[in-house]
Amino acid sequence: MKNMDARTLAHINLFAIFGVIPKLCELSEEARAIIAEDTVSLKVAVKGGPVGVLRFDRGVVSLVPGDGPCNICLPFSSPEKFNGMIDGTVTPIPSKGFTRIGFLLKKFVKLTDVLSRYLRPSEEDLKDETFFRTSTILMFHVITGAISQIGNEDRIGRASASYIVDGNVRMLISEGDEVVAAAHVCSKDHRLTTVPTDTDNAMSMMEFVGIHNARGLFDGTASSFTLICDSKLHLKGMISQLDNVNRILDRVALYLA
Amino acid sequence: MHPVYTFDKSMEMLRRAMNVIPAGIYGHLGPAEGCHIPIDAYPKYSSRAEGSYFWDLDGNRFIDYMCAYGPNILGYNDPDVEEAAARQREKGNCVTAPATVMVDFAELMVDTVKSADWAFFAKNGNDVTSLAVMTARAFTHRKKIVFFKGYYHGVSPWTQKIDYAGIMEEDVMHNIYVNWNDAEELEQVFDRYRGQIAAVIGQPYMHGNFADNVLPADGFWQKVRKLCTDNGSLLIVDDVRAGFRLDLAGSDHYFGFEADLICFCKAIANGHNVSALCGKDFLKTTISGLSYTGSYWMSAVPFAAGIACIEKMKRIGAPGMLIEKGTKLKNGLIAAAQKYGFDLHVSGVPSLFYLRLADDPSLMLHQEWVAECVRRGVYFTNHHNHFINAALSDEDIKETIEIADEAFAIVRNRHS
Repeated sequence: MKNMDARTLAHINLFAIFGVIPKLCELSEEARAIIAEDTVSLKVAVKGGPVGVLRFDRGVVSLVPGDGPCNICLPFSSPEKFNGMIDGTVTPIPSKGFTRIGFLLKKFVKLTDVLSRYLRPSEEDLKDETFFRTSTILMFHVITGAISQIGNEDRIGRASASYIVDGNVRMLISEGDEVVAAAHVCSKDHRLTTVPTDTDNAMSMMEFVGIHNARGLFDGTASSFTLICDSKLHLKGMISQLDNVNRILDRVALYLA
Repeated sequence: MHPVYTFDKSMEMLRRAMNVIPAGIYGHLGPAEGCHIPIDAYPKYSSRAEGSYFWDLDGNRFIDYMCAYGPNILGYNDPDVEEAAARQREKGNCVTAPATVMVDFAELMVDTVKSADWAFFAKNGNDVTSLAVMTARAFTHRKKIVFFKGYYHGVSPWTQKIDYAGIMEEDVMHNIYVNWNDAEELEQVFDRYRGQIAAVIGQPYMHGNFADNVLPADGFWQKVRKLCTDNGSLLIVDDVRAGFRLDLAGSDHYFGFEADLICFCKAIANGHNVSALCGKDFLKTTISGLSYTGSYWMSAVPFAAGIACIEKMKRIGAPGMLIEKGTKLKNGLIAAAQKYGFDLHVSGVPSLFYLRLADDPSLMLHQEWVAECVRRGVYFTNHHNHFINAALSDEDIKETIEIADEAFAIVRNRHS
């Protein structure tokens, strides 16, 4: 992998990609229906990499970083193996939870298929405005989630994070007075944590005005300079924070490509 | 009440520019790097400039405290400088054999700058900071360069950081970063990299962006000087930004030490494009042997302008005058802020002052206030240090303080 490292990618895969499963189940009825009846804790444990527990509780999902109790455990011997599962080249074998194998093989796979459809959508799917909206919101949360993983794990990302002063970087997509999606990256002693909610205590702010403009930036079809010029991308506050977050965003594009 | 400006023609031109120029206006004068927050509060293009003012495409006049980010030190279109430039232009500018005005200018630089035994001319600050580093590496046969965190030494790859777009790890692998004013840390770095450090490069004081500027602690530069001398490393002063606004003999002279190499650009010729690296005699042979030149580096017009500029700065005692004007402005701005309960911090040397409303660490309040000033004809920036020029009159300062007062009132009303 050119200029990327497997461990950082594994963190992104767990905390940014799987990290949007709670939001997916919140926004997509189809996704929510798949796990509506289940109460399951699914642990992903990557040797030399990230560990986290996805908790499914009758349609409501959360992802808790770190070790914890679970019904099903998916151990991976290396970040590369976990990344392979995300790519579809590695089949995971649970070390615990054989009685719940049905959830893993049927429901969880079905859920991740829905997620893939939103994160790597077809042009046809995007013609549907509701799908477009959900897809863009999920992309927003993957990207904001990946910022922290890269800022904490990637060698060059850590260099960027080392220049980020303490405080919250508020990121949002707005339409008129409505906040369509919001998250904030909390910087403390150059460690970054993404919180997938809005904040009223921002040190800096990056606002994408209009969901189509945001999507254009995410897809690389829009120019940030044009959007700034047209007042469709607002930056304010501690600009040095945003400068360094932007440098991390360059690497987000590399990892998520 | 001052009229509130609009910038329709500027914005229209920016959109036209974006079709054919990357980012419309790239770099520090552009809306992104120039922190035009909000975008519609700032002019984008000038139509003309005179003295301490420039006018934009919409006919708005600004009292300009950025001075083209430094070059305007005597006032735009200074008659003495422009006359000297015009006279030289009649004789020749960019010619196969350089004009003797180049020698005159070098002699004037050596007479003016305390630590200079010679002068090497180029165009931009970045040309001469890069030349200084090359000279240090050629002289010492060492690779490593020590920087003070928060530095700005130009845009060449060696000046950037590992995470910047287009920069390779190899470009910056010999850069070492230490904290400003921390002589102990610098000493540790010299111990750790014994015999490997070619040079320490620093601006005369810390005038980085988004933070109060910090003057050198007592004895700091003297300790840096000694560490460089004791370890056989060169001391490079990047006086591109501060040069001639503190001391015509160089900012190293102002702070009581001597650099081995000192870089000048911005204020050297009142807007005519020339930069200079000055240095000690023992480096003259080394720099003579470097492969380093440019098509326009020996153009004669900027040399003539530079001579006229430096001679005039000497005649009027420019640094002292600029510091006095800056102090008057600083006091007025602080008083206006206090009137509305704001805590305005003015840091750095007054001829090169940095502004920050300390009531809000996010700088959003500060950005609002600066935007209201710009909308009424006072061109401040919200992220960078400012520059005083000699044409700035007492009336300009008075008008600036009135507008600042009005802007404070607006921001206070908005946040009361």
